[in-house]
Amino acid sequence: MMCREEHDPRGADQAVFAALLEDSAEELYESAPCGYLSTLMDGTIAKINATLLGWLGRERAAVVGRMRFSDLLTVGGRLYHETHFAPLLRMQGEISGIALEIRQADGGRVPVLVSSVVKHGSTGEPLLIRTTVFDARDRRAYEEELLRGRKVAEEARRQAEADRARLQDALAVLQQALLPDALPPIPGVETASYYHTASPDRLGGDFYDVFPIDGKRFGFFLGDVCGKGPRAAAVTSLTRYTLRAAALHDPDPVSALTTLNKVLHERYAGEGDPRFCTVVFGVLEPDAATGQTAVHLASGGHPPALVLRADGTAGFLPTPGGLLVGILPAAPFATATTVLTAGDTLLLYTDGLTEARTGEGRARLYGDEALLSFVTDHAGERPPDVIHALTELLRGFGDGLDDDTALLALGVPAPGTETKHTI
Amino acid sequence: MDVARRNNVTVTGNPQGPAVLLAHGFGCDQNMWRSTVPALVEDYRVVLFDYVGSGRSDPSAFVPDRYASLEGYARDVVEVCEALDLRDAAFVGHSVSAMIGVLAADMAPERIGALVMVAPSPRYIDDEDYRGGFSAQDIDELLDALESNYLGWSAVMAPVIMGNADRPELGEELKNSFCATDPDMARVFARTTFLSDSRDDLKRVRVPTLVLDCTNDAIAPREVGAFVHRSIPGSTLVTLDATGHCPHMSAPEATNEAITRFLAGLR
Amino acid sequence: MSPLQITLRDAVTGPVLNVTGELDYTNAAELLDRITAVALQPGRRLVLDLGGMRFCDSSGISALIAARNHALAAQADFALAAVPDHTLRVLRIVGLDQILTFHPDSDTATRP
Repeated sequence: MMCREEHDPRGADQAVFAALLEDSAEELYESAPCGYLSTLMDGTIAKINATLLGWLGRERAAVVGRMRFSDLLTVGGRLYHETHFAPLLRMQGEISGIALEIRQADGGRVPVLVSSVVKHGSTGEPLLIRTTVFDARDRRAYEEELLRGRKVAEEARRQAEADRARLQDALAVLQQALLPDALPPIPGVETASYYHTASPDRLGGDFYDVFPIDGKRFGFFLGDVCGKGPRAAAVTSLTRYTLRAAALHDPDPVSALTTLNKVLHERYAGEGDPRFCTVVFGVLEPDAATGQTAVHLASGGHPPALVLRADGTAGFLPTPGGLLVGILPAAPFATATTVLTAGDTLLLYTDGLTEARTGEGRARLYGDEALLSFVTDHAGERPPDVIHALTELLRGFGDGLDDDTALLALGVPAPGTETKHTI
Repeated sequence: MDVARRNNVTVTGNPQGPAVLLAHGFGCDQNMWRSTVPALVEDYRVVLFDYVGSGRSDPSAFVPDRYASLEGYARDVVEVCEALDLRDAAFVGHSVSAMIGVLAADMAPERIGALVMVAPSPRYIDDEDYRGGFSAQDIDELLDALESNYLGWSAVMAPVIMGNADRPELGEELKNSFCATDPDMARVFARTTFLSDSRDDLKRVRVPTLVLDCTNDAIAPREVGAFVHRSIPGSTLVTLDATGHCPHMSAPEATNEAITRFLAGLR
Repeated sequence: MSPLQITLRDAVTGPVLNVTGELDYTNAAELLDRITAVALQPGRRLVLDLGGMRFCDSSGISALIAARNHALAAQADFALAAVPDHTLRVLRIVGLDQILTFHPDSDTATRP
């Protein structure tokens, strides 16, 4: 005891005890702070306390023997009672804390929590159902707030997910539109390509294409627009269609790049947010008589192409001095030529491959030398096999490959070799 | 797909006897047949199951689209019949299950040879001259009641979570009935049940049919029972002196008597 | 990933921006904002000291070009100082070694 009153406590408290003693069981039943009712097994109300009658706004005579418990409920509550509450009460002998609403005589509703227990006779037969009804207005208001909050949150989440899915679909379609569905067949030349998308949320800026120019020549290009996202994709689209159109007008690689440079520079230079790309553009001219294919290409700031020879050697096809496309009103482009004979493959790639991280952070990148060494091991293989090997290499980079990567291989198959992979 | 697991199929009774399927209605599970099973086990092979989303069915099998129509549930019934290779089985369906049985018998006539429709209703909502007993608004109220009891369940679940040493069966019951009644699934079943209209399907019933209704059923009033009886050619109507929507629970003797007499007449 | 740090100081030739960290897609715009906020007088020289830049992707290259265009628009000079080997190699591949001015360090770059 922290503190004890020293005076005689009995005087005042005795009066309270006396008053309590006058509170008979009957008085307690009738005026309890909850509703009581007893029903026959068929639900007919046999006994009900004044508290509940007060909530209902009904006279005892109108209820006892005349109404069933379910008659006190709203229609929806009655459905719930009949399909759930009543069968469970039968099965379990008791049920507690069920949220229902009772209907008042004037049409009002009172949310309540209902608990019932079946009273059994001496031989175990069910006799009657005793039910307590608690006023749950405050609690229900709170629960409804919770439910409303939950609904709003769920709706927002659903909406966000739907939006995200729709956006990803749209991005995937756009991304597809930036790349050819399939590469056209070229007589005496085998082609293969691969595109790695770094993030489904970000449109990539890499691109490639192969297309016929006239009866005997085919154009090809592969490049990388600086930046990512929708703006980069717009540049990619403009670039792709400009190059195709330019090549049909004049297939000379430098002419095609010069046209592209002019278009990009005029379109973007004035906006304070210059857009440009690196690209290799080339023309293939297969010669059915010799089985050889001549390659003329030009590069605007793009990493040098690789040539994989049938004899197991490989080397870069240097194009130094070619400038990024779109940066200056007039730009120099570097050209290179080579001839592909049986078993040779020309490989174009974007810097996602050479800039892939091979260690922690960005200190160690894959690099040109590693790439040269890797492709040398695959020199002499057909384009689909080379692309397959590189695809596996890219997969091996895992998280280290955080940029888009495009690969395009064009080769003259050696007679009698079987392709191991179809890309 | 493991149908037995999906629908928590229980087979009991006389393996040599004719098959009887007992199908629970909305809001409950196969436990509601506990007073019916003893009357059948001696003579019949008794098959009990839970609809997906109820009782101890496999919750991962719940596909909202499939169960957005009674046909989805009926397909499950047919698959249960196929899994057990039942032929000419009697299908005893309570409430909405009675209508699911009608659809299943139509889909697989060789599987289901008789119907017992306990407190059936082909349509709960009033429609011109038809008195189903409810308005669309009433059904929304039921959905609200389902929703609010989702939160109210915490009180119900407390004894289960804490364990109830002297009445372990109570915990079992609660687990059976409440745990499995996932509110989202119950909502789908409730919508499918109470918004369905199967009145036209009744005319296609070609198997012997017993219709059981109750003198005092707030959900399927007597006029609905009479409508079902009228719509199914050659059906038998028995009105049980029972109150409420579950005569097999509130008046099991009379219900069992009517069912067994009907089943005996089929042999 | 180390965040990008950009500090500005004034040399006798004009403003010098020290770029430290990794310059990529995520922060190239930030560098560009800083650069375009620098007031340039005609005839002065904008120097970017890249000695502390550990990585530069294509977005970073774009930002360098934008910096050059900003300087040219103000009739100012533009120079890069202490370009890391890796970035220098990339700048050569894209041909920018032909149009950008490189200095080994910012002392050299800020000689009048």
